[in-house]
This record gives sequence, C-alpha cells and structure tokens, in this order.
Amino acid sequence: MFAITWREFTSQFKSIRSIIIILFIFGVTTGSAKLISQFEMQLKDLGLGDNAYVGGLMLLLFVASPLFVTSISHSIVNKEVDSRTIRFLATKTSRQNIILGKFLGNFLFWMFCLVIALLLIVPFSHAFYFSEFIQSVIYVSYFIGLTLFLSTIIRNPSLTMFLGISLSIALPIIGIWGMFTKNFIIKSISYVTPYFYYTQDHTSYTYFVLIFTLIFLVLSLMVFKRRDL
Amino acid sequence: MKALSTKDLTKKYGNKTVVNHLNLEIEKGSIFGFLGKNGAGKSTFINMITGLTLPTSGSFEILGEQGDSLHRVRHRIGVLPDYSTFYENFTALEHLKYYSRILRLSLTTNELKEILKQVELEDAINVKTKNYSFGMKKKLGLAQAIINKPELLFLDEPTSGVDANSILNIHTLIKDISAQGTTVFLTSHNLDEVEKLCDDIAIMNKGTIQTKGSMHQLRREYQDNISVYIKHDSISESKQIKLRTELSSLVKNMKVASDHLELFVEDESVIPKINNYLVSEQINIYRLEVEEPSLEEIFLNLGEEKFSA
Repeated sequence: MFAITWREFTSQFKSIRSIIIILFIFGVTTGSAKLISQFEMQLKDLGLGDNAYVGGLMLLLFVASPLFVTSISHSIVNKEVDSRTIRFLATKTSRQNIILGKFLGNFLFWMFCLVIALLLIVPFSHAFYFSEFIQSVIYVSYFIGLTLFLSTIIRNPSLTMFLGISLSIALPIIGIWGMFTKNFIIKSISYVTPYFYYTQDHTSYTYFVLIFTLIFLVLSLMVFKRRDL
Repeated sequence: MKALSTKDLTKKYGNKTVVNHLNLEIEKGSIFGFLGKNGAGKSTFINMITGLTLPTSGSFEILGEQGDSLHRVRHRIGVLPDYSTFYENFTALEHLKYYSRILRLSLTTNELKEILKQVELEDAINVKTKNYSFGMKKKLGLAQAIINKPELLFLDEPTSGVDANSILNIHTLIKDISAQGTTVFLTSHNLDEVEKLCDDIAIMNKGTIQTKGSMHQLRREYQDNISVYIKHDSISESKQIKLRTELSSLVKNMKVASDHLELFVEDESVIPKINNYLVSEQINIYRLEVEEPSLEEIFLNLGEEKFSA
C-alpha cells in the first residue's frame, strides 16, 4: 500500500497542472499575507488580526480547492483501469491496498501543499495556524474522497473530469445557497456538502465532514472490489 | 500435490457464458499448456484465477488457499496478463523497483537488472517504456511476472509479438523456471511452443475443457493415423504382393514399393509386429520412421470434430 501511496504522492509533483496549482496556492498565500502585514494594525482594530493571515488561503481553498482536487485527481483510478496498468498492481496486492494507497497518496500531497502554504505565512504572522490546517485538510479530504469515488464508479477519465468540474462548481453554490434558502431540496443537498458544516458557529462541526470522506472511501472500496479489471 | 484446482468455475457476462462450469487440476511443478481459439475463455479463466475478474459462480484453490483468500498467496504467484501496458514515463528498471516495493521484496538494483537481462532487456533498462516496441513490453511483462520467483506462474501468450530469437530465449527461461520447481500455466496460439514446453495440455472451447492430458495421451486419444515409413532393401514383386496380404490386417492403409513401405496404422503397438514380420521375411531394414500427429493436427481434428458440435 505504501509503495502505491508514495508513487501517487510523487507523481502529483510531476504534472504541469499540479505545478501550476501549487505555485498558484503558494503565490496567493504569500501575496495575501504580505498585503495583510501592511494593514496589520487596522485589521487588529477590526478584531481580525488573528486569522487575517490565513484568510486568503482559506478563502482560496473554500472556493477553488474542489476544482484543484478534481483537475489533479479526477482520473486517480479509472486512468489505470482504462490503460490496464492496474492489472499489474491488482495481481500483486489487494484491491483494498490500491484504493487506500491512492487515497493516501493524494491526501499526503494536499497535506504537504497546505503545510507549505501555511509555513509561507509564518514569517509574516509568526505563528503556525494548526487549527486552520486541520480544518483545511478535512475540507480537502472530502473532495479527494469524492473524486476517488467518481473515478472508481466511472470508467471514462474524460467523463470524471467533466463530472468532477461540474460538481466542483455546483457543490459550493448549493452549499452556500442552502445557508440562505428554505427550499427543502437545496437544504437537504447542502447537508451532504462540507459548506453547511464549515459555516456553523462552532468549528467542531467541521469534523463531521470526515464522515463523508470515510463514506466515499468505503463506497469506492466496495465498488472497486467487485470490478472486473 | 495440486498447484491449482477449480470446481465448476463459471463466468458470465450478461447472458453470455464465457467460462462454463470449468473443472481443472494442475499438478505442482508441471508446465501446463492451455489452448483454445480466440474467445474460448482462456484469458477470462486466468483473470479469474489471478483476481482480475470475479467468478460468477464456482470456486478454486490456488497453492493450498481458497480463491476467496487469494491475497494470502499473491506474493507466491506471478502473472503476465494477456494485455500488458506500463506507465509510459517509467523506465523498465523503475517499473521493477515499483513492483518489488509493492511485493515488499528487498531486491537490489543489480538483482533487478539481472532479471531484465534474463528477458534480454539489458540494453533498454533506462529507456522509458513509451519508446518500447510491443515485443519489448512483453519481455518487461515477463520480467515483472518472475520478479518474486513465483511458485505458480501464469503466462498469457508470452511470446506473441516477440521476435524469433527472443522466443527461443523465453522458452529456455520458462524451462529454467520450471526446473526450479515453479508451476507454469501457459496459454499460447503457438502450438509448437505448447508441444515443445508443456507436460500437460488442455484444449478449451466455448468455456469448457474439450480435452486434457499429456501430449502422449492426447496423441493416443485423437490420432487418426500414425504414419510409418520403412526403407528396406529391394524386394521382388511377388514379395510385395505377399507383404500387402500379410500386413493388411495390421495397417489401415499402405503403399508398398520395391524399396520402401509407407504405412498408416491406428495403434503404435502394431509397429513392432510389422518390424518382426519384415525381419522374419529376411527383409533388411535400413530406416524406420514413425511420424506421430502433432498438437496442431490434434487441435485441428478437435476443431472439426468437436468445436463444430
């Protein structure tokens, strides 16, 4: 499993798309921290001093990370099924190890990116925002799980790309819409998006999102175990 | 001791039954040849046994473990699937390193290079596989299948697309691997290859085993005729007539000439009788050649008699 995890992790750094996204995240994070450092006193007067440095990063993640995850990981499983490279893996290790290895590899990649992004803020804020780090990791894990699940149930990588991007756009809209509407359907759907939990007053709600990540992971395992390769 | 046994193993895709209640037993240490036309179900059978496809029904036991517990023996088997593709941006060496890590093998780079040398890829160790020919990919597929020195090795068409010289090398490699105690399960369209390498052979058609046995058993079962050519010293016309009369009860068909006989017998047990008769008639024999039916002839005979049924 760890060989697959390591390969997934390292392969993320090799695509142009990943490199652009990493540079974008790091650029926005550093840029916003620099900007905020120029208005430190004013923001403290407004009571935003503690979280302002990570504000840019959190906003970026909240809005764009579904797209980032989808665009990098949309073919995490089905590309290998489609090209049949998966056959060499499936004859050497269990399918459970393949799915867990792929999930962990992608999860580690995003953890690494988030750690680096938050470390880039440290020279300005003089603090590492651990709580925000955990919350952003949980948030991203939801989309990694969702992408993994889509890539397991759909054989065509192009279709998962399209569906992933569509969901990445639709889910934030539905999630935020659900906060303001009384429409039963929209409200119900918003409960299965992370946005509902991330907009509650108490931050402990964000940990519920981990349940969805686990559900996606278990569903992916169940589907993949039954699949002809 | 059985390396593999299946019981009523069946695979259906919708209404189509690809493998139909297949029962098969393979002895440990043998080279087992699996023959059949395209679409006979050979690859599906291998895919089920190696965990790439789930059986619809039936069961199998592999290296003493039930098919449900395949994960327990995965590190003891090697598989070259029918269709091999690799990560395009990986070199052959990187592939083997990756697979050895998955199998938790502690092989050094030199040991991996040695495996690549065995399949004649030593000159392309650091070439990315996107630049590999079909034959080279087959060889790399074979290398990854033997990386763990498997007890049971599945080879699905190991020499298709490979050049003639390399085929000989692969045959030698398979024999060497078998000599070390590995059971080899081989499918091939190359009947000469199967005949040359395999101890036991099964011929599959429409998802079932049509016939199974050693080459000798198959010959006995499916041979129409054994052709016997006898070169002898010159005999008179009257003696030729006598030979025709005396041998007619032993042979199915014959052609008698002054200095040779061409006989077609149904059973090889009559050959010594014919020899003894010629000696008793004081006919000097210079050469006696027995030509048994090849696997190809058996395969073709089966095709005509049974595949059409």
